[in-house]
Amino acid sequence: MHIPDGYLSPEVSILMSVVSIFLLVVCWKKAKAAYPKSFASLLAVSSAFVFVAQMINFPITYGTSGHLVGGTFLAVVLGPYAAVLSMTIVLLIQSLFFADGGISALGANIFNMAIIGGLSFFIVKLVVGNSMRGKRFAIGVFAASWLSVVLGALACGLEIGVSPIFSQAGGIAVTVPAMLFWHTLIGLAEAAITTTFITQLHRLQPAILNGLTLFKRDAA
Amino acid sequence: MKDYIKALISILIGFAVLLPFASTYPDGLETVAEALGVEESESLWGGLMPDYTLPAVENPYVSTLLAGLFGTFLVLVLSFALGKAMSKSS
Repeated sequence: MHIPDGYLSPEVSILMSVVSIFLLVVCWKKAKAAYPKSFASLLAVSSAFVFVAQMINFPITYGTSGHLVGGTFLAVVLGPYAAVLSMTIVLLIQSLFFADGGISALGANIFNMAIIGGLSFFIVKLVVGNSMRGKRFAIGVFAASWLSVVLGALACGLEIGVSPIFSQAGGIAVTVPAMLFWHTLIGLAEAAITTTFITQLHRLQPAILNGLTLFKRDAA
Repeated sequence: MKDYIKALISILIGFAVLLPFASTYPDGLETVAEALGVEESESLWGGLMPDYTLPAVENPYVSTLLAGLFGTFLVLVLSFALGKAMSKSS
């Protein structure tokens, strides 16, 4: 779902950059001083996992592939705001060093994957409430990770659809359904992988689900 | 700390094992663009290792593996620094 250079009109690029920078500042303010010192190691390893996982594309169907985005994974492990910042680092490195996602599309890519991904935390919260046990927890993680990919694809479809090179090909009436179609499927893989990893992590080491516990304490 | 190093090693082993099986099919967005006849234009910035390859290394597996390890290292350093910056000063 990484948008390359050349797909977005300058207006869309600038608008998405402004929106993303604003939201990143908000996340930074919320995340700052909310975490213990030991958090840096967890953050580093989680970001590294997501970077690596995004390199492993899996086939979906009809000659199309997808890969884990990992937004909901980060959100559950790190909490929403640190997850947004962590994913932003991954996207930044991908764009700067590997030409994966265009520099001019970085704002849009941060919005579609980092911000929507990190904020999918609140979908997990909505479904799960404060009990992190059993089926309901797994369903919350599954639903949030699927939705994070589908909503990201929706945003991506809108951004490219209103930009000239895609509007000549039919615009959002074509790009949105097409993006949603593929990412409905890719999202299922995202959800299956995320739910498996999170439930295993939770079983092996409950304390590592820092994100959820941190914000439970805040609410109490 | 020990647990994190173990986790990191597992991640890197998983990466090295799964990498040869990674699909080279276009992803969702690329499929959509192809279907609509939109061609990817030249990147504004090619990056140091475009498409996760080191131009100097011939073997494609080794080339992508090394690019991935380099990227992982950068992500680790940056996010560790971020984690330190956002944690409580006390």
